[in-house]
Amino acid sequence: MMYPRLPDQNRSPFCATASNVLGWCLVLVVSLFHQVTAASERTVEHSMGVSQISGTPTRVVTLFQGATDTAVALGVIPVGVVDSWVEKPTYKYLRKDLQGVSHVGQETQPNLEMIVGLQPDLIVASKRRHEKIYHHLSQIAPTIALETVFDFKETLSMMGLAMNLEQRATQLLRNWENRIDDFQTRIPRKLGSQWPLEVALLNFRADHARIYLKDSYAGSILNDLGFLRPSNHPEGQWVVKLTTKESIPAMNADVFFVFMTADDPAVARNYHLWTLHPLWKNLDAPQNQQVYQVDEVAWNMSGGIIGANLMLDQIYQHFDLSPGA
Amino acid sequence: MDKLLTFRTSLFSVQIHPGSLKINCLLILGTLVIAVLSLTTGSLWINPLEVITEIADPNKGQHTFVIETLRLPRVVLSFLVGGALAVSGLILQNLIRNPLASPDIIGVTSGASAAAVFFLSFLSGTLGTEWLPVAAIIGATITSLVIYLLAWRQGMSPIRLVLIGIGLAAGLGALTTFMIVLSPIATSMMAYVWLTGTVYGTDWQDVKALLPWILVLLPAAFLMARTINVQELGDQVAINLGVPLQQARFLLLAISVALAGAAVAYAGAIGFVGLIAPHIARQLVNRSFAALAPASMLIGGSLVIVADTIGRTAFLPLDVPAGVFVSAVGAPFFIYLLYRQHR
Repeated sequence: MMYPRLPDQNRSPFCATASNVLGWCLVLVVSLFHQVTAASERTVEHSMGVSQISGTPTRVVTLFQGATDTAVALGVIPVGVVDSWVEKPTYKYLRKDLQGVSHVGQETQPNLEMIVGLQPDLIVASKRRHEKIYHHLSQIAPTIALETVFDFKETLSMMGLAMNLEQRATQLLRNWENRIDDFQTRIPRKLGSQWPLEVALLNFRADHARIYLKDSYAGSILNDLGFLRPSNHPEGQWVVKLTTKESIPAMNADVFFVFMTADDPAVARNYHLWTLHPLWKNLDAPQNQQVYQVDEVAWNMSGGIIGANLMLDQIYQHFDLSPGA
Repeated sequence: MDKLLTFRTSLFSVQIHPGSLKINCLLILGTLVIAVLSLTTGSLWINPLEVITEIADPNKGQHTFVIETLRLPRVVLSFLVGGALAVSGLILQNLIRNPLASPDIIGVTSGASAAAVFFLSFLSGTLGTEWLPVAAIIGATITSLVIYLLAWRQGMSPIRLVLIGIGLAAGLGALTTFMIVLSPIATSMMAYVWLTGTVYGTDWQDVKALLPWILVLLPAAFLMARTINVQELGDQVAINLGVPLQQARFLLLAISVALAGAAVAYAGAIGFVGLIAPHIARQLVNRSFAALAPASMLIGGSLVIVADTIGRTAFLPLDVPAGVFVSAVGAPFFIYLLYRQHR
């Protein structure tokens, strides 16, 4: 049995009928029934199948960055997490909450024996990373698997359902949407005719550069906020890799947000070389001094609701808007 | 010289060297000890006695899951993969009469790698990862066939096979890199792990899928023992002694490709095992294929078990791909071999 995400909305046509009162009673009974069963047993459909989860999990192991972030946001400190990609072993913004939490290795090959040792009652994985070990994981504890690692809204709602914290997850999502609305009302007043801005999200690596597109984590947030993309950006993809400087013109936009592991000398050097190139100097953003370096953890690595809010904080700061509602 | 025991039927003959037999028995014992030790170590240490009783009688004890589901399939698969690669390498070294031959150079590994990376980059979204071994085996087979056909000129000479193999492997290596560059980061991470070679996350399904290959191919290789021994003496001698040379060579090559292809399909491109294990075996037993084959297999298998045990215990909580440690031993060994060749 599938627990309806929005029981009252699904049934709202009832109230339009003549049997108004009766309908509402039915809704009430049905949703009460769901509340009761939800507390004991829930069915979560996910990318690797269906999991039955009972009770409120307290020993959660999170196997990708976004899941760790989301667990903390939901108020449950995981008993096991994987190493972060930068700021190892834990992103600075999560360090206070995750003090003393066990690490079970890397996102790509978490140590299964250590997960067993932690005796979890819920494991949050991602199909993209853990398809091969899903079978093992689900024998250790009920395991839900997100399709990707960066769809923070899906991660939040699925983990909310699995952890019996749906209300809290809905609340967090609602706050997020309120902040988006707030930004969208303030930014046109601030920028006037310049809004909507056309932006490109760039990332520099040791040996190539990337354009992050609409379907990426930060890209989807910029989308929701109302930023535009250059028309030559491909649709339905999350990243384009640029391996030679000849493709620099593909980056062109009014504003560049650049994130990278700047303290890696190889990355810094590559960024330096690309930005020295005459083609780079021809682009609109560099010509108008509209190239901004942003925090790669919030903009790319975190993949969770806390990280998304941090990114939004930084965007507010960038446009000198007072923090919203 | 020790007396040789000879068994002969119309299809099959083998000479057994008593000293080598003894060493092979010791190797079996050694492998078992290594396997049990590997089963005891991990993020938590389990008493060897408990491991043995657990295997003898799966009793749902407190460590049943860790031993039976996490460690044992991994150890068994490591052994099968290492053994298959070692025998594959041994056949090639004898066939090509070059001590530096290994499954890596006749295109098995590079073909399987290119196919696996292609699969990870473009197909894993639509097909599940359980199809990855199939892709790898197809890649290995096609590449080996192409190399064989290109090397064929009124018969197949080993030296042409090697040269064309190296050429094609280089080309496929470029193709593999190209696909990694094109593919999204998530799959390129998986591709790198695969190219290093890993038995991480092995379950009994994998073991069951690999086992039939080994059970058919190893006896098949053993049946060919007498022609292998003769081929080592040179093409002319072999032909004069009545070996159907091209036919035998094709069969042996096919066995070698299938062994390596199946191993690589389940553990990724673990390098060097096929090169090192036969060399170590030659130091221990006499040079007859019947003695070398089991010895190489046991050594190759143990090598991968040890590499994987180090990988999953040395850097806790990290689980490092076994291929890293095989290469760490294999690369210096390769240089040593080159050095010895030149002297």
